[in-house]
Amino acid sequence: MEQNVLRGKAWVFTDDVDTDLIYHNKYLAETDPKKMAQYSFEYYPGKEKFAKEAKPGDFVVAGRNFGTGSSREHAVYCLKELGIPVVLAESFARIYYRNAINNGYPVLFVKGLSDAIKEGKIQDGDELEVNISTGEIKDLTNGHTFHGDAVTDLEKDIMASGGLIEYLKAQAAKK
Amino acid sequence: MGKTMIQKIIQRASGKEVQVGDRVWCRIDLSTARDFGGPNCVLQFDEVTDKGKVWDPDKIAFTFDLQAPAHAEKVANNQKIIRDFAKRQGITKVFDVNWGIGQHVLLENGLVKPGDVILGTDSHMNLLGGVGAFATGVGNTDIVASWINGTLWFRVPETMKITVSGTFAKGVCMRDFLTFLVGKLGADGMFFKAVEFYGETIEKSTLADRITLCSMVTEMSGKVGLIMPNGEVLDWLVKRAGMEVLDRVQTLKADPDAVYSDDLHFDVTGLEPMASCPDAPDNVKTVREAAGAHIDQVHIGSCSNGRFEDIAAAFEVLKAANFQISDSVRTIITPSTREVMKQCAEAGFIQKFLEAGVIFTNPTCSLCTAEHYGVLPGGDVGVSTTNRNFIGKVGKGSHTYLVSPMTAMASAVKGVLTDPRDILK
Repeated sequence: MEQNVLRGKAWVFTDDVDTDLIYHNKYLAETDPKKMAQYSFEYYPGKEKFAKEAKPGDFVVAGRNFGTGSSREHAVYCLKELGIPVVLAESFARIYYRNAINNGYPVLFVKGLSDAIKEGKIQDGDELEVNISTGEIKDLTNGHTFHGDAVTDLEKDIMASGGLIEYLKAQAAKK
Repeated sequence: MGKTMIQKIIQRASGKEVQVGDRVWCRIDLSTARDFGGPNCVLQFDEVTDKGKVWDPDKIAFTFDLQAPAHAEKVANNQKIIRDFAKRQGITKVFDVNWGIGQHVLLENGLVKPGDVILGTDSHMNLLGGVGAFATGVGNTDIVASWINGTLWFRVPETMKITVSGTFAKGVCMRDFLTFLVGKLGADGMFFKAVEFYGETIEKSTLADRITLCSMVTEMSGKVGLIMPNGEVLDWLVKRAGMEVLDRVQTLKADPDAVYSDDLHFDVTGLEPMASCPDAPDNVKTVREAAGAHIDQVHIGSCSNGRFEDIAAAFEVLKAANFQISDSVRTIITPSTREVMKQCAEAGFIQKFLEAGVIFTNPTCSLCTAEHYGVLPGGDVGVSTTNRNFIGKVGKGSHTYLVSPMTAMASAVKGVLTDPRDILK
Protein backbone atom coordinates (compact mmCIF):
# COMPACT_ATOMS: atom_id res chain seq x y z
CA MET A 1 0.00 0.00 0.00
CA GLU A 2 1.23 3.50 -0.82
CA GLN A 3 2.65 5.40 2.13
CA ASN A 4 0.14 8.20 1.66
CA VAL A 5 -2.82 5.84 1.83
CA LEU A 6 -3.91 5.24 5.40
CA ARG A 7 -6.40 2.79 6.79
CA GLY A 8 -8.15 2.97 10.12
CA LYS A 9 -11.37 3.09 12.05
CA ALA A 10 -13.63 6.16 12.11
CA TRP A 11 -14.56 7.94 15.34
CA VAL A 12 -17.44 10.18 14.37
CA PHE A 13 -18.28 13.54 16.00
CA THR A 14 -20.92 16.21 15.44
CA ASP A 15 -20.71 19.87 14.30
CA ASP A 16 -19.20 22.52 16.60
CA VAL A 17 -17.06 20.15 18.67
CA ASP A 18 -15.48 22.63 21.08
CA THR A 19 -12.06 22.48 22.69
CA ASP A 20 -13.52 21.59 26.10
CA LEU A 21 -14.95 18.43 24.55
CA ILE A 22 -11.64 17.62 22.84
CA TYR A 23 -9.47 18.51 25.84
CA HIS A 24 -11.23 19.79 28.95
CA ASN A 25 -10.11 22.95 30.76
CA LYS A 26 -9.74 20.85 33.91
CA TYR A 27 -6.41 19.62 32.55
CA LEU A 28 -5.03 22.90 31.23
CA ALA A 29 -2.25 23.01 33.81
CA GLU A 30 -0.56 20.12 32.00
CA THR A 31 2.57 21.27 30.18
CA ASP A 32 3.89 17.94 28.84
CA PRO A 33 2.26 17.18 25.45
CA LYS A 34 2.88 13.46 25.90
CA LYS A 35 0.67 13.40 28.98
CA MET A 36 -2.19 15.19 27.22
CA ALA A 37 -3.27 12.20 25.08
CA GLN A 38 -4.99 10.38 27.96
CA TYR A 39 -7.58 13.19 28.35
CA SER A 40 -8.74 13.30 24.71
CA PHE A 41 -12.55 13.59 24.40
CA GLU A 42 -13.04 12.68 28.07
CA TYR A 43 -15.96 15.15 28.28
CA TYR A 44 -17.59 14.18 24.96
CA PRO A 45 -20.80 12.31 25.86
CA GLY A 46 -20.52 8.73 24.61
CA LYS A 47 -16.84 9.04 23.69
CA GLU A 48 -15.39 9.12 27.21
CA LYS A 49 -13.25 6.05 26.51
CA PHE A 50 -11.82 7.39 23.27
CA ALA A 51 -8.31 7.88 24.67
CA LYS A 52 -8.18 4.26 25.88
CA GLU A 53 -9.84 2.61 22.90
CA ALA A 54 -8.68 4.59 19.86
CA LYS A 55 -5.76 2.94 18.12
CA PRO A 56 -2.91 4.74 16.40
CA GLY A 57 -4.06 5.12 12.82
CA ASP A 58 -7.73 5.65 13.65
CA PHE A 59 -9.42 8.78 12.29
CA VAL A 60 -11.32 11.60 13.94
CA VAL A 61 -14.24 12.49 11.66
CA ALA A 62 -16.34 15.58 12.39
CA GLY A 63 -18.79 18.11 10.99
CA ARG A 64 -18.50 21.88 10.85
CA ASN A 65 -16.33 24.15 12.99
CA PHE A 66 -14.21 21.45 14.64
CA GLY A 67 -12.16 22.83 17.55
CA THR A 68 -14.25 25.93 18.21
CA GLY A 69 -13.62 27.70 21.51
CA SER A 70 -10.37 28.08 23.35
CA SER A 71 -6.87 28.73 22.00
CA ARG A 72 -5.39 25.76 23.88
CA GLU A 73 -2.90 23.88 21.76
CA HIS A 74 -3.47 20.90 24.07
CA ALA A 75 -6.44 20.04 21.83
CA VAL A 76 -4.06 19.40 18.92
CA TYR A 77 -1.27 17.77 20.94
CA CYS A 78 -3.58 15.21 22.53
CA LEU A 79 -4.78 13.78 19.20
CA LYS A 80 -1.32 13.93 17.65
CA GLU A 81 0.19 12.09 20.62
CA LEU A 82 -2.52 9.42 20.43
CA GLY A 83 -1.43 8.69 16.87
CA ILE A 84 -4.52 9.98 15.10
CA PRO A 85 -2.89 10.64 11.70
CA VAL A 86 -5.33 13.25 10.39
CA VAL A 87 -8.56 14.97 11.41
CA LEU A 88 -11.28 14.94 8.74
CA ALA A 89 -13.91 17.65 9.14
CA GLU A 90 -16.26 19.75 7.05
CA SER A 91 -14.45 22.80 8.49
CA PHE A 92 -12.14 23.79 11.32
CA ALA A 93 -12.37 26.63 13.80
CA ARG A 94 -9.83 29.36 13.17
CA ILE A 95 -7.49 28.89 16.11
CA TYR A 96 -7.64 25.10 15.97
CA TYR A 97 -6.71 25.29 12.30
CA ARG A 98 -3.69 27.51 13.05
CA ASN A 99 -2.56 25.28 15.88
CA ALA A 100 -2.77 22.18 13.68
CA ILE A 101 -0.79 23.80 10.84
CA ASN A 102 1.77 25.23 13.25
CA ASN A 103 2.40 21.69 14.51
CA GLY A 104 2.55 20.11 11.08
CA TYR A 105 -0.57 18.14 12.00
CA PRO A 106 -2.67 17.24 8.92
CA VAL A 107 -6.27 18.36 8.61
CA LEU A 108 -8.54 17.74 5.62
CA PHE A 109 -11.54 19.91 4.74
CA VAL A 110 -14.18 17.44 3.57
CA LYS A 111 -17.21 18.84 1.75
CA GLY A 112 -20.51 17.22 2.67
CA LEU A 113 -19.16 15.53 5.78
CA SER A 114 -21.47 17.36 8.17
CA ASP A 115 -24.59 16.16 6.34
CA ALA A 116 -23.14 12.68 5.81
CA ILE A 117 -22.65 12.34 9.57
CA LYS A 118 -26.18 13.55 10.28
CA GLU A 119 -27.59 11.12 7.70
CA GLY A 120 -25.59 8.19 9.10
CA LYS A 121 -23.58 7.75 5.90
CA ILE A 122 -20.44 7.56 7.96
CA GLN A 123 -20.54 5.96 11.39
CA ASP A 124 -18.41 5.03 14.38
CA GLY A 125 -16.30 1.99 13.63
CA ASP A 126 -16.45 2.28 9.82
CA GLU A 127 -13.23 1.24 8.16
CA LEU A 128 -11.80 4.18 6.19
CA GLU A 129 -9.14 4.47 3.56
CA VAL A 130 -7.70 7.97 3.32
CA ASN A 131 -5.29 9.12 0.64
CA ILE A 132 -3.52 12.09 2.22
CA SER A 133 -2.05 13.20 -1.12
CA THR A 134 -5.18 13.20 -3.26
CA GLY A 135 -7.74 13.75 -0.47
CA GLU A 136 -9.77 10.70 -1.56
CA ILE A 137 -11.64 9.12 1.33
CA LYS A 138 -13.37 5.75 1.00
CA ASP A 139 -15.69 4.33 3.62
CA LEU A 140 -14.93 0.64 3.05
CA THR A 141 -17.75 -0.44 5.35
CA ASN A 142 -20.59 1.08 3.32
CA GLY A 143 -18.98 2.20 0.07
CA HIS A 144 -19.50 5.96 0.38
CA THR A 145 -16.70 8.17 -0.89
CA PHE A 146 -15.71 11.71 0.06
CA HIS A 147 -13.19 14.24 -1.11
CA GLY A 148 -11.02 16.24 1.24
CA ASP A 149 -9.03 19.37 0.38
CA ALA A 150 -5.59 19.72 1.86
CA VAL A 151 -4.30 23.15 2.89
CA THR A 152 -2.81 25.57 0.36
CA ASP A 153 -0.67 28.74 0.24
CA LEU A 154 1.63 29.50 3.16
CA GLU A 155 -0.03 26.82 5.28
CA LYS A 156 1.12 24.17 2.79
CA ASP A 157 4.73 25.38 3.11
CA ILE A 158 4.52 25.38 6.92
CA MET A 159 3.10 21.83 6.83
CA ALA A 160 5.87 20.72 4.47
CA SER A 161 8.47 21.99 6.95
CA GLY A 162 6.81 20.05 9.76
CA GLY A 163 5.46 23.07 11.63
CA LEU A 164 5.87 26.80 12.19
CA ILE A 165 9.06 26.71 14.26
CA GLU A 166 10.71 24.35 11.76
CA TYR A 167 9.54 26.61 8.92
CA LEU A 168 11.09 29.68 10.58
CA LYS A 169 14.36 27.83 11.16
CA ALA A 170 14.45 26.76 7.51
CA GLN A 171 13.78 30.33 6.38
CA ALA A 172 16.51 31.68 8.67
CA ALA A 173 18.98 29.12 7.30
CA LYS A 174 18.27 30.31 3.75
CA LYS A 175 19.30 33.86 4.55
CA MET B 1 -11.05 50.12 -4.12
CA GLY B 2 -11.41 51.15 -0.47
CA LYS B 3 -10.11 49.16 2.48
CA THR B 4 -11.79 47.93 5.64
CA MET B 5 -10.30 48.46 9.10
CA ILE B 6 -8.67 45.04 9.33
CA GLN B 7 -7.09 45.50 5.89
CA LYS B 8 -5.61 48.84 6.96
CA ILE B 9 -4.39 47.38 10.23
CA ILE B 10 -2.70 44.47 8.46
CA GLN B 11 -1.21 46.84 5.88
CA ARG B 12 0.31 48.94 8.65
CA ALA B 13 1.68 45.85 10.40
CA SER B 14 2.98 44.09 7.28
CA GLY B 15 4.12 47.09 5.23
CA LYS B 16 2.27 45.63 2.24
CA GLU B 17 -0.79 46.43 0.19
CA VAL B 18 -3.14 43.53 0.94
CA GLN B 19 -6.25 41.89 -0.47
CA VAL B 20 -8.68 39.45 1.17
CA GLY B 21 -7.14 35.98 1.23
CA ASP B 22 -3.50 37.10 1.20
CA ARG B 23 -1.16 35.51 3.73
CA VAL B 24 1.20 38.07 5.21
CA TRP B 25 3.67 38.41 8.07
CA CYS B 26 2.71 41.13 10.52
CA ARG B 27 4.89 42.93 13.05
CA ILE B 28 3.55 42.26 16.52
CA ASP B 29 2.99 45.22 18.84
CA LEU B 30 2.41 43.13 21.97
CA SER B 31 2.73 39.37 22.49
CA THR B 32 1.19 38.19 25.74
CA ALA B 33 0.64 34.95 27.59
CA ARG B 34 -1.19 34.11 30.76
CA ASP B 35 -0.97 31.63 33.59
CA PHE B 36 -2.50 29.01 31.31
CA GLY B 37 -0.75 28.48 28.04
CA GLY B 38 2.02 30.78 29.30
CA PRO B 39 4.08 28.02 30.94
CA ASN B 40 3.75 25.98 27.73
CA CYS B 41 5.07 28.98 25.76
CA VAL B 42 8.02 29.42 28.10
CA LEU B 43 8.99 25.73 28.07
CA GLN B 44 8.62 25.52 24.28
CA PHE B 45 10.59 28.75 23.74
CA ASP B 46 13.46 27.53 25.93
CA GLU B 47 13.48 24.20 24.12
CA VAL B 48 13.48 25.46 20.54
CA THR B 49 15.89 28.38 21.15
CA ASP B 50 18.09 26.55 23.66
CA LYS B 51 17.20 29.19 26.26
CA GLY B 52 17.81 32.07 23.85
CA LYS B 53 16.75 35.71 24.23
CA VAL B 54 13.34 37.01 23.19
CA TRP B 55 13.14 39.49 20.32
CA ASP B 56 12.03 42.45 22.43
CA PRO B 57 11.28 42.17 26.17
CA ASP B 58 9.36 45.48 26.05
CA LYS B 59 6.79 44.01 23.67
CA ILE B 60 5.99 40.98 25.78
CA ALA B 61 3.58 40.91 28.72
CA PHE B 62 2.33 38.26 31.12
CA THR B 63 -1.01 38.24 32.89
CA PHE B 64 -2.20 35.91 35.62
CA ASP B 65 -5.94 35.51 35.51
CA LEU B 66 -7.32 32.03 35.01
CA GLN B 67 -6.37 30.69 38.43
CA ALA B 68 -5.38 33.66 40.51
CA PRO B 69 -4.18 33.27 43.17
CA ALA B 70 -2.93 29.69 42.67
CA HIS B 71 -5.05 27.03 44.35
CA ALA B 72 -2.90 23.99 43.59
CA GLU B 73 0.78 23.14 43.54
CA LYS B 74 0.81 22.43 39.81
CA VAL B 75 -0.66 25.87 39.11
CA ALA B 76 1.69 27.59 41.56
CA ASN B 77 4.66 25.93 39.86
CA ASN B 78 3.38 26.98 36.43
CA GLN B 79 3.11 30.58 37.61
CA LYS B 80 6.67 30.43 38.90
CA ILE B 81 7.87 29.24 35.47
CA ILE B 82 6.51 32.51 34.05
CA ARG B 83 7.91 34.76 36.79
CA ASP B 84 11.38 33.21 36.50
CA PHE B 85 11.35 33.52 32.71
CA ALA B 86 10.27 37.17 32.85
CA LYS B 87 13.08 37.98 35.27
CA ARG B 88 15.67 36.17 33.15
CA GLN B 89 14.49 37.89 29.96
CA GLY B 90 14.10 41.38 31.44
CA ILE B 91 10.35 41.39 30.78
CA THR B 92 8.87 43.96 33.15
CA LYS B 93 5.20 43.90 32.08
CA VAL B 94 4.19 41.16 34.48
CA PHE B 95 0.69 41.59 35.86
CA ASP B 96 0.66 39.07 38.67
CA VAL B 97 -2.23 37.39 40.50
CA ASN B 98 -3.36 40.65 42.10
CA TRP B 99 -4.34 42.39 38.82
CA GLY B 100 -7.24 40.59 37.16
CA ILE B 101 -8.29 39.50 33.68
CA GLY B 102 -5.48 39.96 31.18
CA GLN B 103 -7.04 41.92 28.30
CA HIS B 104 -8.78 44.29 30.71
CA VAL B 105 -5.55 44.88 32.65
CA LEU B 106 -3.61 45.58 29.43
CA LEU B 107 -6.30 48.05 28.39
CA GLU B 108 -6.38 49.85 31.75
CA ASN B 109 -2.60 50.11 31.71
CA GLY B 110 -2.50 51.93 28.40
CA LEU B 111 -0.89 49.06 26.46
CA VAL B 112 -3.57 48.90 23.76
CA LYS B 113 -4.07 51.34 20.87
CA PRO B 114 -6.31 51.17 17.82
CA GLY B 115 -4.51 49.25 15.08
CA ASP B 116 -2.14 47.39 17.40
CA VAL B 117 -1.58 43.73 16.56
CA ILE B 118 -1.76 41.89 19.86
CA LEU B 119 -1.44 38.17 20.61
CA GLY B 120 -2.45 36.24 23.69
CA THR B 121 -3.14 32.69 24.86
CA ASP B 122 -6.80 33.49 25.38
CA SER B 123 -9.44 33.06 22.69
CA HIS B 124 -11.19 36.21 23.91
CA MET B 125 -8.16 38.46 23.32
CA ASN B 126 -10.20 39.91 20.47
CA LEU B 127 -12.39 41.86 22.91
CA LEU B 128 -9.65 44.49 22.52
CA GLY B 129 -11.24 45.13 19.13
CA GLY B 130 -13.63 47.18 21.28
CA VAL B 131 -10.99 49.94 21.02
CA GLY B 132 -10.00 49.12 17.43
CA ALA B 133 -7.04 46.82 18.13
CA PHE B 134 -6.50 43.61 16.18
CA ALA B 135 -6.00 41.25 19.09
CA THR B 136 -6.30 37.52 18.66
CA GLY B 137 -6.06 34.36 20.71
CA VAL B 138 -3.43 31.91 19.52
CA GLY B 139 -1.76 28.73 20.69
CA ASN B 140 1.66 28.52 22.30
CA THR B 141 3.51 27.82 19.04
CA ASP B 142 2.32 31.14 17.56
CA ILE B 143 3.40 32.95 20.71
CA VAL B 144 6.82 31.28 20.66
CA ALA B 145 7.28 32.17 16.98
CA SER B 146 6.48 35.81 17.76
CA TRP B 147 8.96 35.85 20.65
CA ILE B 148 11.67 34.64 18.28
CA ASN B 149 11.31 37.21 15.51
CA GLY B 150 8.49 39.60 16.41
CA THR B 151 6.24 38.65 13.51
CA LEU B 152 3.43 36.22 12.78
CA TRP B 153 1.49 35.05 9.73
CA PHE B 154 -2.14 36.01 9.12
CA ARG B 155 -4.69 35.48 6.40
CA VAL B 156 -6.41 38.74 5.48
CA PRO B 157 -10.07 38.08 6.34
CA GLU B 158 -13.25 39.27 4.72
CA THR B 159 -15.12 41.91 6.73
CA MET B 160 -18.74 41.81 7.81
CA LYS B 161 -20.43 45.14 8.54
CA ILE B 162 -23.07 45.28 11.28
CA THR B 163 -25.04 48.47 11.93
CA VAL B 164 -27.04 48.70 15.14
CA SER B 165 -29.73 51.30 15.77
CA GLY B 166 -32.33 51.96 18.45
CA THR B 167 -32.32 52.24 22.24
CA PHE B 168 -32.48 49.38 24.72
CA ALA B 169 -35.65 49.11 26.78
CA LYS B 170 -35.40 49.00 30.58
CA GLY B 171 -33.90 45.69 31.71
CA VAL B 172 -32.31 45.04 28.31
CA CYS B 173 -28.67 45.67 27.40
CA MET B 174 -25.85 45.01 24.95
CA ARG B 175 -25.38 41.45 26.23
CA ASP B 176 -28.97 40.68 25.21
CA PHE B 177 -28.28 42.00 21.71
CA LEU B 178 -25.20 39.81 21.53
CA THR B 179 -27.08 36.74 22.68
CA PHE B 180 -29.73 37.52 20.07
CA LEU B 181 -26.99 37.85 17.44
CA VAL B 182 -25.33 34.54 18.37
CA GLY B 183 -28.73 32.88 18.03
CA LYS B 184 -29.39 34.57 14.71
CA LEU B 185 -25.99 33.95 13.07
CA GLY B 186 -25.04 30.69 14.81
CA ALA B 187 -21.79 29.28 16.16
CA ASP B 188 -20.02 29.71 12.83
CA GLY B 189 -21.95 32.76 11.61
CA MET B 190 -18.85 34.97 11.37
CA PHE B 191 -16.55 32.17 10.22
CA PHE B 192 -12.96 33.51 9.93
CA LYS B 193 -14.29 37.04 9.32
CA ALA B 194 -13.49 40.41 10.83
CA VAL B 195 -16.56 42.40 11.86
CA GLU B 196 -17.01 46.18 12.01
CA PHE B 197 -19.76 47.57 14.22
CA TYR B 198 -21.46 50.88 13.42
CA GLY B 199 -24.66 52.78 14.19
CA GLU B 200 -26.06 55.08 16.85
CA THR B 201 -26.39 52.29 19.44
CA ILE B 202 -22.68 51.53 19.12
CA GLU B 203 -21.60 55.19 19.04
CA LYS B 204 -23.45 55.85 22.32
CA SER B 205 -22.28 52.66 24.01
CA THR B 206 -19.86 52.44 26.94
CA LEU B 207 -16.47 50.76 26.82
CA ALA B 208 -17.95 47.92 28.89
CA ASP B 209 -20.63 47.34 26.23
CA ARG B 210 -18.06 47.39 23.44
CA ILE B 211 -16.01 44.81 25.31
CA THR B 212 -19.07 42.59 25.69
CA LEU B 213 -19.88 42.96 22.00
CA CYS B 214 -16.39 42.17 20.74
CA SER B 215 -15.70 39.34 23.21
CA MET B 216 -18.67 37.38 21.90
CA VAL B 217 -17.47 37.57 18.27
CA THR B 218 -15.42 34.50 19.23
CA GLU B 219 -18.64 32.59 19.92
CA MET B 220 -19.64 33.15 16.28
CA SER B 221 -16.19 32.01 15.07
CA GLY B 222 -15.20 35.54 14.01
CA LYS B 223 -11.59 36.66 13.92
CA VAL B 224 -12.10 40.06 15.54
CA GLY B 225 -14.87 42.59 16.06
CA LEU B 226 -13.72 46.18 15.56
CA ILE B 227 -15.11 49.48 16.81
CA MET B 228 -13.15 52.68 16.24
CA PRO B 229 -13.15 54.63 19.53
CA ASN B 230 -15.27 57.80 19.69
CA GLY B 231 -16.68 60.13 22.35
CA GLU B 232 -16.05 59.18 25.97
CA VAL B 233 -14.36 55.92 25.04
CA LEU B 234 -11.85 57.86 22.91
CA ASP B 235 -11.19 60.33 25.75
CA TRP B 236 -10.66 57.43 28.19
CA LEU B 237 -8.28 55.69 25.81
CA VAL B 238 -6.21 58.81 25.05
CA LYS B 239 -5.74 59.34 28.79
CA ARG B 240 -4.47 55.78 29.17
CA ALA B 241 -2.62 55.08 25.94
CA GLY B 242 -1.54 58.55 24.79
CA MET B 243 -2.10 61.01 21.96
CA GLU B 244 -1.01 58.57 19.26
CA VAL B 245 -4.47 57.05 19.62
CA LEU B 246 -5.90 60.08 17.78
CA ASP B 247 -3.66 59.55 14.74
CA ARG B 248 -4.51 55.88 14.62
CA VAL B 249 -8.24 56.58 14.66
CA GLN B 250 -7.84 58.84 11.63
CA THR B 251 -5.49 56.69 9.57
CA LEU B 252 -7.01 53.28 10.26
CA LYS B 253 -10.74 53.92 9.97
CA ALA B 254 -12.42 52.12 7.10
CA ASP B 255 -12.65 53.88 3.73
CA PRO B 256 -16.15 55.03 2.71
CA ASP B 257 -15.96 52.70 -0.31
CA ALA B 258 -14.57 49.71 1.59
CA VAL B 259 -15.88 46.35 0.42
CA TYR B 260 -17.79 44.15 2.89
CA SER B 261 -18.83 40.51 2.59
CA ASP B 262 -22.08 41.18 4.47
CA ASP B 263 -24.01 44.30 5.44
CA LEU B 264 -26.41 43.58 8.30
CA HIS B 265 -28.74 45.99 10.11
CA PHE B 266 -30.42 45.49 13.47
CA ASP B 267 -32.69 47.64 15.61
CA VAL B 268 -32.54 46.92 19.34
CA THR B 269 -35.78 48.75 20.11
CA GLY B 270 -38.22 46.14 21.34
CA LEU B 271 -35.48 43.59 22.03
CA GLU B 272 -36.17 41.43 25.09
CA PRO B 273 -33.75 39.91 27.65
CA MET B 274 -32.18 36.86 25.98
CA ALA B 275 -30.57 33.64 27.22
CA SER B 276 -28.18 31.12 25.69
CA CYS B 277 -29.73 27.91 26.99
CA PRO B 278 -27.85 24.69 27.76
CA ASP B 279 -25.57 23.51 26.19
CA ALA B 280 -24.46 25.94 23.46
CA PRO B 281 -24.12 29.72 23.10
CA ASP B 282 -26.27 29.61 19.96
CA ASN B 283 -29.18 27.77 21.66
CA VAL B 284 -31.00 31.06 22.20
CA LYS B 285 -34.44 31.86 23.65
CA THR B 286 -35.95 34.93 25.28
CA VAL B 287 -35.65 34.86 29.06
CA ARG B 288 -39.48 34.95 29.13
CA GLU B 289 -39.61 31.66 27.23
CA ALA B 290 -37.12 29.97 29.56
CA ALA B 291 -38.23 31.73 32.78
CA GLY B 292 -38.84 29.62 35.87
CA ALA B 293 -36.08 27.16 35.06
CA HIS B 294 -34.49 25.62 38.14
CA ILE B 295 -31.06 27.05 39.01
CA ASP B 296 -28.46 26.37 41.70
CA GLN B 297 -25.87 29.09 41.16
CA VAL B 298 -25.58 32.57 39.70
CA HIS B 299 -22.31 34.04 38.53
CA ILE B 300 -21.65 37.60 37.36
CA GLY B 301 -18.22 38.35 35.93
CA SER B 302 -15.77 37.23 33.19
CA CYS B 303 -13.98 39.08 30.39
CA SER B 304 -17.37 39.52 28.68
CA ASN B 305 -19.38 41.10 31.51
CA GLY B 306 -17.16 41.87 34.50
CA ARG B 307 -16.76 45.67 34.14
CA PHE B 308 -17.98 48.21 36.68
CA GLU B 309 -21.00 49.08 34.49
CA ASP B 310 -21.99 45.39 34.40
CA ILE B 311 -21.80 45.05 38.17
CA ALA B 312 -23.61 48.39 38.59
CA ALA B 313 -26.45 47.08 36.39
CA ALA B 314 -26.73 44.00 38.61
CA PHE B 315 -26.66 46.26 41.67
CA GLU B 316 -29.66 48.23 40.36
CA VAL B 317 -31.67 45.01 40.10
CA LEU B 318 -30.68 43.97 43.61
CA LYS B 319 -31.62 47.44 44.89
CA ALA B 320 -35.04 47.19 43.25
CA ALA B 321 -35.51 43.92 45.15
CA ASN B 322 -34.67 45.58 48.48
CA PHE B 323 -31.29 43.86 48.58
CA GLN B 324 -32.77 40.40 49.09
CA ILE B 325 -31.46 37.36 47.21
CA SER B 326 -32.83 33.84 47.32
CA ASP B 327 -31.36 31.38 49.85
CA SER B 328 -31.70 28.57 47.33
CA VAL B 329 -28.90 29.77 45.03
CA ARG B 330 -25.22 30.52 45.49
CA THR B 331 -24.50 33.97 44.05
CA ILE B 332 -20.97 34.92 43.04
CA ILE B 333 -19.75 38.25 41.66
CA THR B 334 -16.24 38.53 40.24
CA PRO B 335 -14.97 41.93 39.04
CA SER B 336 -12.73 41.78 35.97
CA THR B 337 -9.84 43.78 37.46
CA ARG B 338 -8.55 45.31 40.67
CA GLU B 339 -9.47 48.74 39.27
CA VAL B 340 -13.08 47.57 38.80
CA MET B 341 -13.11 46.09 42.30
CA LYS B 342 -11.91 49.41 43.69
CA GLN B 343 -14.69 51.24 41.79
CA CYS B 344 -17.22 48.83 43.30
CA ALA B 345 -15.83 49.50 46.78
CA GLU B 346 -15.94 53.27 46.26
CA ALA B 347 -19.54 53.10 45.02
CA GLY B 348 -20.54 51.24 48.18
CA PHE B 349 -21.65 48.17 46.22
CA ILE B 350 -19.50 45.60 47.98
CA GLN B 351 -20.95 46.32 51.42
CA LYS B 352 -24.49 45.87 50.09
CA PHE B 353 -23.65 42.73 48.14
CA LEU B 354 -22.05 41.12 51.19
CA GLU B 355 -25.03 42.02 53.38
CA ALA B 356 -27.31 40.36 50.83
CA GLY B 357 -25.26 37.16 50.99
CA VAL B 358 -23.38 37.51 47.71
CA ILE B 359 -19.87 36.03 47.42
CA PHE B 360 -17.77 38.93 46.10
CA THR B 361 -14.42 37.58 44.91
CA ASN B 362 -11.04 38.90 43.86
CA PRO B 363 -10.64 39.74 40.15
CA THR B 364 -10.04 36.61 38.06
CA CYS B 365 -11.59 34.58 35.23
CA SER B 366 -13.25 32.40 37.88
CA LEU B 367 -16.01 30.32 36.31
CA CYS B 368 -14.50 30.10 32.84
CA THR B 369 -12.64 27.00 33.98
CA ALA B 370 -13.74 24.00 36.00
CA GLU B 371 -10.52 24.31 37.98
CA HIS B 372 -11.53 27.37 39.94
CA TYR B 373 -14.06 28.29 42.57
CA GLY B 374 -17.70 28.00 41.64
CA VAL B 375 -17.36 24.65 39.86
CA LEU B 376 -20.76 23.01 39.41
CA PRO B 377 -21.45 19.42 40.47
CA GLY B 378 -23.19 17.03 38.08
CA GLY B 379 -26.91 17.83 37.79
CA ASP B 380 -26.57 21.45 38.90
CA VAL B 381 -27.70 24.34 36.74
CA GLY B 382 -25.87 27.65 36.65
CA VAL B 383 -26.77 31.11 35.37
CA SER B 384 -23.73 33.03 34.24
CA THR B 385 -22.54 36.11 32.36
CA THR B 386 -19.54 34.17 31.01
CA ASN B 387 -19.29 33.48 27.30
CA ARG B 388 -19.50 29.71 26.92
CA ASN B 389 -21.88 27.02 28.12
CA PHE B 390 -20.54 24.02 26.26
CA ILE B 391 -21.44 20.64 27.76
CA GLY B 392 -19.78 20.15 31.13
CA LYS B 393 -17.51 23.19 30.76
CA VAL B 394 -17.68 24.13 34.44
CA GLY B 395 -18.27 20.61 35.75
CA LYS B 396 -19.23 17.27 34.21
CA GLY B 397 -22.99 16.82 34.07
CA SER B 398 -23.74 20.49 34.84
CA HIS B 399 -25.61 22.95 32.63
CA THR B 400 -25.47 26.71 32.24
CA TYR B 401 -27.67 29.56 30.98
CA LEU B 402 -25.70 32.54 29.65
CA VAL B 403 -27.43 35.86 30.30
CA SER B 404 -26.90 39.57 31.00
CA PRO B 405 -25.82 40.83 34.45
CA MET B 406 -29.40 42.12 35.01
CA THR B 407 -30.99 38.78 34.21
CA ALA B 408 -28.37 37.02 36.35
CA MET B 409 -29.15 39.18 39.38
CA ALA B 410 -32.92 38.93 38.82
CA SER B 411 -32.47 35.15 38.85
CA ALA B 412 -30.46 35.36 42.08
CA VAL B 413 -33.30 37.36 43.62
CA LYS B 414 -36.05 34.93 42.63
CA GLY B 415 -34.07 31.68 42.80
CA VAL B 416 -35.18 30.65 39.31
CA LEU B 417 -34.36 32.00 35.86
CA THR B 418 -36.07 35.40 35.87
CA ASP B 419 -36.70 38.27 33.43
CA PRO B 420 -35.23 41.40 35.11
CA ARG B 421 -38.25 43.44 33.96
CA ASP B 422 -40.26 41.55 36.59
CA ILE B 423 -38.18 43.32 39.22
CA LEU B 424 -37.26 46.63 37.54
CA LYS B 425 -40.84 47.86 37.38
